[in-house]
Amino acid sequence: MDTTVKKDSAEKIPFLERPMVRTILPIAGFVVICVIFAILTDGRLFRPKNLTLLLSQSYMLLISSIGVFMIMTMGGLDFSQGSMLGVCSIVICYLSHYNIVLAIIGGVVTGGLIGLINGYFNVKRKITSFIVTICTMYLFRGVVAYATTTSPVYAVSDISKYNTLPFMLTFTVIIFAVTFFIFTFTGLGSRLKAIGAGETAARYAGIRVERTKMLIFMAAGCITGLAAFVNSVKVGSVTSTAGNQLETQIMIALVLGGMPVNGGAKVKFYNIILGVMTYKILSSGLVMLMISTQMQQLILGIIFLVEVALFSDRKTGMIVK
Amino acid sequence: MKKLKQSQYYGILLLLLMLVAFWAVFKILAPATFGSPDKLMTYMKSALIYAVGGCGLYFICSMGPFDMSVGANIVLSSIIACNMSERFGYLGLVIAPVIVGTIIGFINGMVYIKLHISSLIVTVALSLIYEALSVYATNGKNVILSTDYRAFGDYPANLILALVAYLLCAFILKYTKVGTYTYAIGSNEVVAKNMGVNVAKYKVVAFTLAGMFFGLQSILTISFGTSMTSATNLSSMSRNFTPLMGTFFGLAFKKYGHPVIAIVVGEMIIQLMFNGFVALGAPTTIQNVVTGAALLLIVTLTTKPTKGAVVK
Amino acid sequence: MGEVLLKADNIDKHFGITHALDHVSLTFGKGEIHALIGENGSGKSTLTSCLTGIYQKDSGTFTLEGKEITAKNQVEANHQGVAIVVQEMGTLSGLTVAENIFLGNENDFISHGIKNTSAMNKKAQEYLNSYGFNYIDATRSIDDYNFEERKLIEIVKSTYFNPKVLVVDETTTALGQKGREELFKVMHKMRDEGNCVIFISHDLEEVIEQADNISVLRDGVMIGSISKAEATTDKLKQMMVGREIGENYYRTDYGEKISDEVVISVKNVTVKGQIEDLSLELHKGEILGIGGLSECGMHEVGKAIFGASYFREGSVTLGDGTPINSIPDAIKHSMAYASKDRDNESLVINDTIGENICLPSLEDLKKNGILRSKNMKAFAEKYAAQMSTKMTGVDQFVSALSGGNKQKVVLARWIGKDSDLIILDSPTRGIDVKVKADIYAMMNDMRKNGKSIIMISEEIMELLGMADRILIMKDGKINGEFFRSESLKDTDLINNMI
Repeated sequence: MDTTVKKDSAEKIPFLERPMVRTILPIAGFVVICVIFAILTDGRLFRPKNLTLLLSQSYMLLISSIGVFMIMTMGGLDFSQGSMLGVCSIVICYLSHYNIVLAIIGGVVTGGLIGLINGYFNVKRKITSFIVTICTMYLFRGVVAYATTTSPVYAVSDISKYNTLPFMLTFTVIIFAVTFFIFTFTGLGSRLKAIGAGETAARYAGIRVERTKMLIFMAAGCITGLAAFVNSVKVGSVTSTAGNQLETQIMIALVLGGMPVNGGAKVKFYNIILGVMTYKILSSGLVMLMISTQMQQLILGIIFLVEVALFSDRKTGMIVK
Repeated sequence: MKKLKQSQYYGILLLLLMLVAFWAVFKILAPATFGSPDKLMTYMKSALIYAVGGCGLYFICSMGPFDMSVGANIVLSSIIACNMSERFGYLGLVIAPVIVGTIIGFINGMVYIKLHISSLIVTVALSLIYEALSVYATNGKNVILSTDYRAFGDYPANLILALVAYLLCAFILKYTKVGTYTYAIGSNEVVAKNMGVNVAKYKVVAFTLAGMFFGLQSILTISFGTSMTSATNLSSMSRNFTPLMGTFFGLAFKKYGHPVIAIVVGEMIIQLMFNGFVALGAPTTIQNVVTGAALLLIVTLTTKPTKGAVVK
Repeated sequence: MGEVLLKADNIDKHFGITHALDHVSLTFGKGEIHALIGENGSGKSTLTSCLTGIYQKDSGTFTLEGKEITAKNQVEANHQGVAIVVQEMGTLSGLTVAENIFLGNENDFISHGIKNTSAMNKKAQEYLNSYGFNYIDATRSIDDYNFEERKLIEIVKSTYFNPKVLVVDETTTALGQKGREELFKVMHKMRDEGNCVIFISHDLEEVIEQADNISVLRDGVMIGSISKAEATTDKLKQMMVGREIGENYYRTDYGEKISDEVVISVKNVTVKGQIEDLSLELHKGEILGIGGLSECGMHEVGKAIFGASYFREGSVTLGDGTPINSIPDAIKHSMAYASKDRDNESLVINDTIGENICLPSLEDLKKNGILRSKNMKAFAEKYAAQMSTKMTGVDQFVSALSGGNKQKVVLARWIGKDSDLIILDSPTRGIDVKVKADIYAMMNDMRKNGKSIIMISEEIMELLGMADRILIMKDGKINGEFFRSESLKDTDLINNMI
């Protein structure tokens, strides 16, 4: 018996489920937030000086979101990004005393290895990615704390010479260009979306699901290694709190960008940039309005909740855990 | 042997053996600094606290959803407990957090059911809000529990309160409809719904009950720690995981029929490990490594990977 | 028929664009076993699901003893006097036998919010004993019992409230001989007490043996009812399949010579619990049918050949000796597979038609290493149109399509990949007659173009009508081989299945 047939037919798709609405809503959200804060701050938020600052604060989040974006497209979650970034930063800072290129490679490899650990437990041991990454988040947070018990790990002092707008912007743009190309023009995006939308069927269509998942977890780690480099350049050292709560920032940002939490076919690559910029403008706008931190968090929490409620994919009779 | 394995006491026996084994290993490695009776009593003090939260989380996790706001709930409830103790004495200390915890649990459940989105995401978002409220409740400073009201921080009052909580949890699971429905929904939501179980209602009930247990944990937490700082930027999240480990023990040993015992003993094992490593000379910063690794190990040992299973 | 007990009046139900029940009206009498039969997708389970509150009907009324009844779930239906034993597992693991029996009805044992477990266990045990199931212990976890025992517990559960109407929905396929006899005993007891049993089964002989009256549904439409005395398997089959199907529904040729060229050879394949030491060969341009009862392991054969089985032993090789050990291997060597479980295994249900068609062909669609969405769209449109898929566009989600159109998307995918060897598992399951004819015609064309097809099917007529050679399986082994011939009868096949 065909019991899984969707109840609502093609003609009467609910308003929020229409593709057009789903595309426009996050963009509209971004515009509205920009306009509101432009008015509230009398345009101060969008002065060149502030924009530069805004951008310099966004590189790390932008880059590290790419990896999580790919994992979430497959329907998984990654909560270990923050700790991963901490560990990678330690490696980068330590190696930067020898050679800066070596430091970047070291960071990328470290991230990749941690990603492989996540992948192993998720793919081979069949534990939900959410649980796995919460465990590794804890584990590596401990490693960061341990390595910085006595004093922060300092990078070589002239690492700050890279902390310029042209270098950082180019670095970020190149990473985005490369990942966008791979995601869109090699079929990787289609494969990841298929895995997110129906893993078993994706396997029967010839996608090497396990291998792809492993690869993406590893790639996400590598990308976080690059984000860690940006972070090290900006900060110059690693303390025990490096990358704290990065994972939640990423998740909030992606959701604000219109990313469906369960991944699947409705994922768009621009969700990353849109989301991170919405999040950053929202948070720095709130700071600029001299609103107390607790109020900022309250507002952020409510906006987050409203946006998830709007963007979530709901099917009739779907079981939500 | 086979009969023994099926017996409900097999699980408990296994847990107790693990407990003794861990104690013995650390005792041999660090005879001077680990495991004397008075030290054991200290370890158990914290185990007792976390196990209360673990009991609460068990209702939610055995149904399938998740609660990421445990930490925020405990922070907010503890702060309010402390504030209320100044006004109403012990009465305020005990009743206020239970009420606050229950309300938070109810809100979590309602938002989760009404919005129809993953409980994980809902509770993260709500955590942001609860944390902000905790800052308002403390005016950004930390609260300190007056020395007059610290009885629940030490034996025997803490033990009594914790035991009450455990018995309550065991009672609800075994002797009420809620218990049966918790397992029924966890086993197969669709079938349970067809059998007339009001799934949405009982999910809210589970979240509410869990909230109440987190309220109870808050009494013990503030009494034991004597002070509580408000949380921001989801820093309260780190408080989620110690209760969660107990819950995982409970879920893993569910088939032996005594989840509450498994939760309590599980928390004891975790505390032994923490303190064992510290006794061996590892810095306290290693705690998180132990937590993460232990949790991963428990889950790995208790999940049987099936080829082709869809795991997100 | 005696006194009327239950009346279904103009019951109508849609699933999306599928019209599952088209104003069905039917009466059930007191003291009868009334069988409902029809092919897959004919609407018989939908009708009983609407009656018992598993689905909500769109319109129409059910009248039990003159009173209209509507149930929102099974427990409500129970209280109104209607109970059901479902096809799938209806018991919940993690609960005890007694808790399962009284799930949703605990209130009888609750006072002041406290559940009296021992009273519940006692009652459950008494009840089990009254059916002679003394060996089932009500206090034990349901997980201690096997599938068949769990089914029996479900039957006990369903009759606890002395229902006036009991629906038994394809339960017998899950039961062995002993279980069936127990079930029939319960059914006869119900009838003798003046109640009605609605019996759904695929096994026509069993139906004729057990039922007093038989009603036939086809494509959601009520075809007619006949009494036990009038019923023969041929007559029922004719009613189920319908008369409008002409001779050219299936292939008409007989005696065509099959090429000697082997395209795939399966040697000593074992998949634990499913297939045992199975060997077969498929020739170029041949349609090889594989039939049997649904649990005989034949569905796993398709997966094993396609490289999709986990833990496969033995070898699957192409004519030139290339081994096929994984799905990507199979696809690379021009093999295709359409699963029986269309919604989970064949199609990425929450993805678009376009993506579904393109997925295996992504690498072929690249130009200079670059995959453009323009090319993907054109490709998908071409093959969706070739299969005349009814859709609003290739951007439409597959989940909104009917069973037949879904199958067309699956086939469009593999035709687009230009597959030479196609494994079709239950290709016409839940598909209406028109699309069925299209699929048969397509298979015939492919055969003529030298492509080879393995067709796994539970429908005997389809095997007889389409296959050049039929293998019948039983308990994971091949139990008979038949060559295409006009004189081949369905009974020849059935004898080898059971």
